[in-house]
Amino acid sequence: MTDVRDLVGDELEPGEHERLQRVHELLGEVGAPPELSPALAASPEPPRASVIPFPRRYRFTAIAAAALVAAVLFGVGYLVGAAGEAAPVRTLAMTGSGGATASLALFEDDDAGNWPMELQVRGLPPGDYELWLAKSGELAEPCGAFAVGRGTTTVPLNAPYRLRQFDAWVVVEAGEDDPVLTT
Amino acid sequence: MTDDAELIRRVAVGDRSAFEELHRRYARSVLGIALRRIGDRGRAEDVTQDTFASVWRSARRYDPARGAPASWLYTVARNAIVDGLRRTPPPTVDEPPELASSSPGPEELAEAEWTAWRVHRALETLPAEERRLVELAYWSGMSQSEIAEYVGLPLGTVKTRTRSALRRLADELDEELR
Repeated sequence: MTDVRDLVGDELEPGEHERLQRVHELLGEVGAPPELSPALAASPEPPRASVIPFPRRYRFTAIAAAALVAAVLFGVGYLVGAAGEAAPVRTLAMTGSGGATASLALFEDDDAGNWPMELQVRGLPPGDYELWLAKSGELAEPCGAFAVGRGTTTVPLNAPYRLRQFDAWVVVEAGEDDPVLTT
Repeated sequence: MTDDAELIRRVAVGDRSAFEELHRRYARSVLGIALRRIGDRGRAEDVTQDTFASVWRSARRYDPARGAPASWLYTVARNAIVDGLRRTPPPTVDEPPELASSSPGPEELAEAEWTAWRVHRALETLPAEERRLVELAYWSGMSQSEIAEYVGLPLGTVKTRTRSALRRLADELDEELR
């Protein structure tokens, strides 16, 4: 490695030579940073956290169906649960603004492909909310509606879908598209 | 200059201009480690885009108490690279014969990658004119006299500005120099 004084001259302050020499060596070691292509020169569009406008009439039908399925499963689960509590096969953490958090416990799916779930929510303002599966930043399939009160809210829900098709779970305010909690 | 932690905090609340500034500061560093890991320019560029998409989505999870912004961004970039490699694994090649390798091991490679990340990031903090002089001095193959002629400045000015740039880099890379 050459001497840094070849590049910057001899007029270095006392003790400075060693420091600049080390920088000189580091620059030699790491090589040039790559140039950005025109496609990368500008920052990408931020990915949209939401949203497909879901026709409201379908939305309420879907939510009602999901809620019905959830209620039926809850009842079945309550009865079956007497034989012993099942352990979740996976538990997902969800976070949102303002310190809101949730955990979503997924239980083993049944033969028909229903995934029983238990959602535990903390820190959301009281109100009505919906759980959705999302894909590529857009709401894709509803998984039920629920109300949040003060403190921690725990609700049983259900997802009758092939979960591998999706990439996130989100909670939105009822009728809205912007997630307030995401995995 | 706004520090990186403040920029990440602003990205977390959807500030597009802060996102653009983070991209300006880190895009070359991210592309640099993506190229080191992946080799293929097109895939490395895709991973760079994915990294910034992840930054946008996960900025609210950044906790300054748990590490420096550069470390967090480095982790996000590495995760995006690993995801990119999973999606499109490199083409398989014949298994090489088992020979003692003289190439660096994983620890050395990781150390070199982190150092390159920090140095490239530090370069982005320099004023544009100083950064240009450093890049010409180290990676153009030109002598200082040739650089002086090329940029139309007296040789003494080129040396003074290069010295100023190296001092700034030394301050920025204090941790590496210890």
